[in-house]
Amino acid sequence: MSTLRITFRLNRKEIQIEAAPDRRVSDVLREDLGLTGTKESCGAGDCGACTILVDGESRLSCLMLAAQIQGHEITTIEGLAKDQRVHLLQKTFVEHGAIQCGFCTPGIVLASLDLLKRNPNPTRAQIREGLVGNLCRCTGYQKIVDAVQAAAVSSQEEESL
Amino acid sequence: MREVFLPQRTEELWEILKREPETEIYAGGTDLLVKMRSGQVNPPSLVCLERIESLRGVFDKGKEVFIGACNTHSNLLEDPVIRKEFPGLARGIDVLGSPPIRHMGTIGGNIVTASPAGDTLPSLYVLDAEVEVHSKAQKRRLPLRDFILGPGMVALHPQEVLWGIWLKKQPSWNVHHYEKVGRRKALACSIASMAALLELSESGTVVKARLAWGSVGPTILSFSHVDNNLIGQLLSIETLSSLAKQVELSVSPIDDLRASAEYRRTVSGLLLLRLLYYSPSFRQECDSRKENSMSQDIHCT
Amino acid sequence: MKESERHTPITDLLLAQRTHNRILSIGTSAPRVDAYDKVTGRVEYASDYYGNNVVWAGVKRAGVPHARLKTIDSSRAEKHPGFICVLTHENVSGTNRQGVVKKDQPVLVDDKVRYCGDAIALVLAENKTALKESLDLITLDFISLPPVLDVEKAMESGSPLVHDNNSDGNILLKGELRIGLGSAAEEECDFLVEACFETQRQEHAYLETEAGWAYMDEDGRLVIVCSTQTPFRDRMEVAESLGLDTGRVRIIAPYTGGAFGGKDGVTLQSFLGLAALNTKGRPVKMCWDREESFLAGTKRHPARMYYRLGAKKDGSLHCLDVRLYLDTGPYDHLGGVVLAQALEHAGGPYRIPNVVLRGWCVYTNNPIGGAFRGFGVTQVTAAIEQIMDMLADRMDMDPLELRLKNALKRGDKNCVGKTLVSSTGMIDCLEILSKHSVWTERETWKRSGVPFRQRGVGLAAVMQGLGYGPVVPDYANAKVELTSEGNIRVYCGVVDMGQGNDTTNLQIVSHILGQNPDRIELVQPDTDRTLPSGSASASRCTYTFGNALIGAATTLMDRILKRAADFMMAARNEELVLVPGGVRCLLTGHEIPLSKIAKLLSHDERVATHHFRAPVATEVITTNQNLRLHGLPHTIFSYAAHLACVEVDELTGKVEIKRYLAVSDCGKVLNPQIFEQQIHGGIAQGIGYALSEDLEVLEGRMLNSNLSTYLLPTAEDVPEIYSVAVEIYEPTGPFGLKGVGEISTNGPLPAVSNAVADACGIRVHQSPLTPERVLGAILKNRGRGEHVEDHV
Repeated sequence: MSTLRITFRLNRKEIQIEAAPDRRVSDVLREDLGLTGTKESCGAGDCGACTILVDGESRLSCLMLAAQIQGHEITTIEGLAKDQRVHLLQKTFVEHGAIQCGFCTPGIVLASLDLLKRNPNPTRAQIREGLVGNLCRCTGYQKIVDAVQAAAVSSQEEESL
Repeated sequence: MREVFLPQRTEELWEILKREPETEIYAGGTDLLVKMRSGQVNPPSLVCLERIESLRGVFDKGKEVFIGACNTHSNLLEDPVIRKEFPGLARGIDVLGSPPIRHMGTIGGNIVTASPAGDTLPSLYVLDAEVEVHSKAQKRRLPLRDFILGPGMVALHPQEVLWGIWLKKQPSWNVHHYEKVGRRKALACSIASMAALLELSESGTVVKARLAWGSVGPTILSFSHVDNNLIGQLLSIETLSSLAKQVELSVSPIDDLRASAEYRRTVSGLLLLRLLYYSPSFRQECDSRKENSMSQDIHCT
Repeated sequence: MKESERHTPITDLLLAQRTHNRILSIGTSAPRVDAYDKVTGRVEYASDYYGNNVVWAGVKRAGVPHARLKTIDSSRAEKHPGFICVLTHENVSGTNRQGVVKKDQPVLVDDKVRYCGDAIALVLAENKTALKESLDLITLDFISLPPVLDVEKAMESGSPLVHDNNSDGNILLKGELRIGLGSAAEEECDFLVEACFETQRQEHAYLETEAGWAYMDEDGRLVIVCSTQTPFRDRMEVAESLGLDTGRVRIIAPYTGGAFGGKDGVTLQSFLGLAALNTKGRPVKMCWDREESFLAGTKRHPARMYYRLGAKKDGSLHCLDVRLYLDTGPYDHLGGVVLAQALEHAGGPYRIPNVVLRGWCVYTNNPIGGAFRGFGVTQVTAAIEQIMDMLADRMDMDPLELRLKNALKRGDKNCVGKTLVSSTGMIDCLEILSKHSVWTERETWKRSGVPFRQRGVGLAAVMQGLGYGPVVPDYANAKVELTSEGNIRVYCGVVDMGQGNDTTNLQIVSHILGQNPDRIELVQPDTDRTLPSGSASASRCTYTFGNALIGAATTLMDRILKRAADFMMAARNEELVLVPGGVRCLLTGHEIPLSKIAKLLSHDERVATHHFRAPVATEVITTNQNLRLHGLPHTIFSYAAHLACVEVDELTGKVEIKRYLAVSDCGKVLNPQIFEQQIHGGIAQGIGYALSEDLEVLEGRMLNSNLSTYLLPTAEDVPEIYSVAVEIYEPTGPFGLKGVGEISTNGPLPAVSNAVADACGIRVHQSPLTPERVLGAILKNRGRGEHVEDHV
């Protein structure tokens, strides 16, 4: 059996790779493509550290196989910054102290992005609900909720101008 | 290295299934890939259903709704028909897993995995769901209760695939309830759950009732004697407490890592008392005594 | 907002993060210096290295709790195409023993297996898949031995021994302390309550599992990059166990993805070292998956605690009798130190004139008990704070009043007879809590629940000693350099595992040297470049290293100013001041850039070091030298008062924490944001300990060793936390600071348990307070005559 040629968009660039069809997407990203921002912490879908966006939707890369990403748009944490500009969420995470050891951070930022897309004006309770798939052992979540709320408020303010 | 097939047309699917008798089928992968990692299963190849269009979509057919088996849980949460007609099912999906798991996992997967703790299942049972199963040669339709045979076991023959779920609209029912008990507030395997579909009169008398319990037996359990004993009754502590005792005697839970049989048995009965929240007189009495209204707490986990 | 407008220029982010246009002052919430790199995925953790030509290493573990090793059969593995070699204890040239106090843990088992996670063989393979498959192909043959599973049984004569050569059977350490009349004073008490509490095994569950990589450099030195709290100690342990000269080993500690005590000491360092010595020059990588992290790593000691607490009718505590048993598993791993700290804190932050404390730290074949944030204090706080509430209830006294009446003040002697010479803010914390709206509005809040959900509030008064005790030196060596370009380089001695000390270090240096953060660079701990500074543990990271850093920065400042004064012909240093980028003479207005001053100083002059050793207790409160060695007593304590507001669901037994208040005295706060981060994080771990986390072990085997069955709190399980800092200046601390790393973990379990008792009149004596345990207690209590409708 041979490897598969897979064409997909990664952080807004079209790329082509060769990989075993059943290779985990988290391994493709971390080991084959050197994008170690996506983390592995449990390998079984219980912690969210491996969260990526697939066509803008948050998914767990440790439970996806390489063959599945053919033709899709994958966004990793490395792809959030654009042309020397970081995403608003990255800014609020830094400012509000939402990052301690930082290991859950890539996954939780992407999960937050998905959350805000679906619900641009969430309550704090809704933010917590939207982030239950991402475990954090350092922060107690409070400042993460602050950061997501600040990004939501900031966006709302911009829109009302 | 395993081959991973991603057929786009149903004809392809049947061809692959014929060629690969030992293959495992998956849609979202949230159950199968975990089992493969732990070594529980080791298939020579995999078939992923995510690209087959006809397995998706929610179709309002008037009296019934057809749900494609490969709708993800989040597809269903966003579907206005599901939210409007089957709020109990929506509630079950709401507390299933986590957002990324809901973006990947499918209702078909939840059914075929047939865990007694499956969060969609109790609501599907009270809705008298039917499943549609396809093979190359034929399509058949059967009640979900007959499709799920036991923990992890469904009535699928070789080269058959669960195609979708039929739900009848239930306009007369006005209480669509689901409660899940887990050992933490979210992302927790259910240790006991209860779905209830009730028609209450204006005075709060039960006209019709269907209840089902999860995680307290080898499959989802429902009891016609319990359903019938509710009919004609006002929802009250006395009625529900005595019914709770009947439920305790009827369920057949096991001990496992997450909970003991005794706890599951006790809770399966006590969960009935939550239905008091839907009783107009009960709510009125409590609201007048407390500062907070109960409405935000109806949906409790 | 348009998609494009959601993006902020990186310079703006750096501005926000490092406020690079101004000096960072002590007391400001400067955002973390590492945050930008972490939020963009750029930080490389120890698990992120995937070099060329890498060898993958993995450990074959015993899987049985107690056995003699007969044979290791790797014949099938050797046929695997990706297999390189297998190493056993025969390949270990050194002592093959590791440990902090007692070196009793083998790198690779050479005599017998003492727990399921014991390492038997080290396999090297070409890739991750080959490694896993090779490991599965190795078979081990054992002669089973009867396992030691229960602490009290382990101390009975005739019990099998975990270590045949241990001088005291299965006891690693025991201790006894008596103050006043001991338990003879019970006769004088008007009220006496007695209870037994059992706390569970807790898993650190850091998101980054144990990982690292290693290679032999061009000089033939072993270089190990790993996730660790203790690079210098690791270096010694690796050298000794593998038979190498310490100078031939280099350990580099990058940012660590959480540790909480689980990476205090050797985890995989010796495996990496042994592997690198055997790969013929290829670099080697090791990364434990979650299940291996569960299996092999250390845990919080489960404890069984028997308490008797007595008081006089005026509310003064009069006597305390404690028997405390810790299950330490098969190896020392700081177990004795945990016991000593538990004994010291067993009486809580109270004056109790008559005390007898007895404790045993016992070897078993269960998982290894080791360091875990709180470190013995978490367990005993659960007991003392609950029995205090039980006593208050018996005396019909308000639980806050009882605590206020007996709380320690500066100058008092604590329960082990140690005079409190350092700042003691326990009463301040309790008083501030008593005025907070969460407390003052508690009765209204309690009445606002919904049917079947009873509300209650519960208090806990907590304290935590800082550092290592009177014998083991708590020291740090800071090094600060004026680079030849005129920038400031700080050699950070203590690992930043998420607690933010890198940023605090930056703040201290920015403040003293008057430089903007964009001129200050940090060097992460590296045994070749930074100086030995002790472990990232014991709430001492910023206290001890911060003090050393103040010394080094001040020394460097003096040198810069002296040289500048000579050059600028100023009469005294005091006429000059360091300003961003240079030195200014205040009398003439003349300014020289730092880059120029750098050229006026020799290299040696540009590097300033300073050694600091934390003060220790002068009083000797025990003649037991072994107990003293293990840390009794401490001398600097932080204090806090916690309040949990809970809702108990009487239909399911589920406990939900609706709000949580922590009022903490950790001295002056150098960075409020970092302070709050520590408080929030510790409380979240404490909430897991209180409600959902339980590493269950049966017959020495773990039953739930993954994150699906071991339940950490999610974002919905942790409530909004209100944190108030009581900033009582601690003169010996850097700018008045004390430790904050551990204390907040100790509050939740007793506060929540007390709140459940307030809500439902029941107390569960075993943690965690699972729905099953709580419902069981409610129904049992109800069997005595209460009905559901009474609680609607």
